[in-house]
Amino acid sequence: MLGYQNKMLRIDLSNKTYSTEPLNMDWAEKYIGGKGLAIKYLYEELKPGTDPFSEHNKLLLMTGPFTGTPVPCSGKLAIASKSPATGTILDCSIGGHSALKIKYAGYDAVMFEGKLDKPGYILIEDDKIEFKEASDLWGKGSHETETILSAEYGKEASILSIGPAGENLVTMSCINSDYYRQAGRGGIGAVMGSKNVKAIVIIGTGGVKVNDIENTTKRLSEILREDTTSEENMFIYEDGTTAFLEACNDGGILPKRNFSDTTDENWTKYNGEVLLQYRKGKRGCGSCGLGCGNFIKIGDAVCEGPEYESIAVAGPNAGIEDPQAIVKANQVADDVGLDTISAGDVIIYAMEMTEKGIYDFGIRFGDKEKYIEYLKLMAKKEGIGADLALGVKKLSEKYGGEDFAMHVKGLEYPQYEPRGSWGMSLAYAVSDRGACHMRAYAPNDEVFEASIPPYTAEGKGKMVVDLAVYNAVKFSLILCDFWPLGMDRMAELMTLITGKEFTEDDMNEVAMRVIHIARAFNQREGFTRKDDTMPKRLVNEALKSGPAAGQKIPQEAFEKMLDDYYAVLGWNNDGIVPDEILTSL
Amino acid sequence: MKIKVLLRGFLVKYFNGEKERVIEVEDGLSARQVVERLGISIEHKSFGFVAVNGMRVMIDDQLKDGDELKVYPRLSGG
Amino acid sequence: MAVKRLKFKKENCIGCQLCMQACSGMHEGAYTPSKARLTIESYYDKGGDLKFEKHICTLCGICEKECPFEAITVDEKVSVDFDKCTGCGICAEKCPQDVISIREGKAIICDTCNGDPYCVKLCPHGALQYV
Repeated sequence: MLGYQNKMLRIDLSNKTYSTEPLNMDWAEKYIGGKGLAIKYLYEELKPGTDPFSEHNKLLLMTGPFTGTPVPCSGKLAIASKSPATGTILDCSIGGHSALKIKYAGYDAVMFEGKLDKPGYILIEDDKIEFKEASDLWGKGSHETETILSAEYGKEASILSIGPAGENLVTMSCINSDYYRQAGRGGIGAVMGSKNVKAIVIIGTGGVKVNDIENTTKRLSEILREDTTSEENMFIYEDGTTAFLEACNDGGILPKRNFSDTTDENWTKYNGEVLLQYRKGKRGCGSCGLGCGNFIKIGDAVCEGPEYESIAVAGPNAGIEDPQAIVKANQVADDVGLDTISAGDVIIYAMEMTEKGIYDFGIRFGDKEKYIEYLKLMAKKEGIGADLALGVKKLSEKYGGEDFAMHVKGLEYPQYEPRGSWGMSLAYAVSDRGACHMRAYAPNDEVFEASIPPYTAEGKGKMVVDLAVYNAVKFSLILCDFWPLGMDRMAELMTLITGKEFTEDDMNEVAMRVIHIARAFNQREGFTRKDDTMPKRLVNEALKSGPAAGQKIPQEAFEKMLDDYYAVLGWNNDGIVPDEILTSL
Repeated sequence: MKIKVLLRGFLVKYFNGEKERVIEVEDGLSARQVVERLGISIEHKSFGFVAVNGMRVMIDDQLKDGDELKVYPRLSGG
Repeated sequence: MAVKRLKFKKENCIGCQLCMQACSGMHEGAYTPSKARLTIESYYDKGGDLKFEKHICTLCGICEKECPFEAITVDEKVSVDFDKCTGCGICAEKCPQDVISIREGKAIICDTCNGDPYCVKLCPHGALQYV
């Protein structure tokens, strides 16, 4: 199949050697690339019970057949491993330009194995691979690291780096690129840190061959105009993800004060209209057809962003309304290398614990200065940061407040309140990497939609399966979230680029395989229905404000949604993938 | 009844680029009926949801005099 | 009739480099931005400022003037006569936009895709225009 380089680069960090091998094209036909192919490789190569911080864990960078071509919105890179935060499979999706550089360097994928004996960075320059010293970079923030390496290698080099959080094995640490893009969740940065890899520098001067390139390029220019940049999709270029703030507030799913309520009457102080006044420019990823990035400067707060999640967690969910503080929180989290969502959720849990007098973490809702200070302490595991760096699951097991420790399997809750969108509680519970909004984006079908009732379990099992199917194949191609292309378009693009015929049914089959294999990985690690959970807050406490006022989710309703979800997928009532499916994967 | 309609996203084209207008319609209309009066197709995949007085409602909910109706296009992504 | 030229509006650029992919795709048989006949970059200078760099052929005609072998003609587009071009590299040196490469002994210069530039076709928000 064209589009692929048919090559994986395997780097042995322990012995400082490397080799290349053909990409497994049987697997590529079944899983395509990105999320799906990465999980397949790790399913086959990682033994169950592997310690995520040991040299036996692997870090896999995976592109797809579209990467490096003018398929719009194809600039994302999947980075996968076993999660140190949850022990599940973990796949992240990072924007920027590194995916394209890997492809232009000649590789579909890069697999990192073992660990360096001391801090270093890896240079991948086409077919030249070098192991470099990084003792002078170790300890520096991601931003300073990128500045230094960029000065040495030039603007065309893509740099993936970790901050002190990843170095200190904080299970909420991220991998950064282009200063402000992240592979954010599940502690992916800590895996890189455990391998003593401070950065990966990628220079690629080659190219990507596709089927019938001149006609394909013509067709892609048509698709860009007629589909990708059609007026319905332009909100993401015009406003970025700030567009979700008002919709979530009106929709009753914008969380307030550690998910204790929704609807912030002060939201107009930090909403898109306010933030975008400080916008200095727009940016997208490589091959982007839309351009969601807002480069914002308010005083000394500088960030490409903040995105919806980062605004909500450092804003209403923390009792903060100062837009400059919200932007600063994002900037600091990026630089020290922390996931804004998980780190923010820990801080707001700590705020509630302090306010309730259960344990004094020394911070209350609204304390924007301490929020920033605590991010820095968490990254270094210093002072109160040593405790906070444990994450809400372990922290609540240690100090209490488990009912409002908002997480699933140890991954902290994204900023959509499930009592306002019941299907979201299911989506968070069954996501393959812990509480994640990107596996099945329930608000799309239950809130940002005209006639589906949000406060019922009826039909939600099927709804979440359909949403999970869509994202599973989309993130295996790998394409960006913000182009809502149909599965028929996905099949057309696969046929166009690879020269092999793909149909919509094929796309559905790929999606199902990906969902099954992610579950199979977790099942092998011991995860079952008992781990697909919902925090007690959602069961016991009714919301007080907004359209969902009075709503809480009865445990029976949640159990019914789980029953339905498993049944649609053909799993047993304990959420186990049966053998006949396992053997087909 | 007088309804203040606010449009979001690309839907502002229905008001020639303006974001809000006050309109006069018969009493007891539903949100669906008002939206259809404006020429906006609810069946199209680009249609999102409606909120009355800052809170999401179902499309067939009834409006009353003085209500503020916000109409959203579909927001994809997460 | 005025001659059309490529023009760049940085406010509309998102740094996607689809232009460079389209150019190389149409001329080199593979999507290879390093071989494109234009270069547009957006980058964060030390993370603090968003900057752009553009290198596009503006039909200034300097390559035609400087070529010692009269191998280059500039009218609505730049044409290089490969029978006359020796790959001496003077055009590349003198090009104020730095868009000329010498590959396999010949000068490689933007030819506006014969009046229908693909970089413009693949630019999402009209940062590149041919007017």
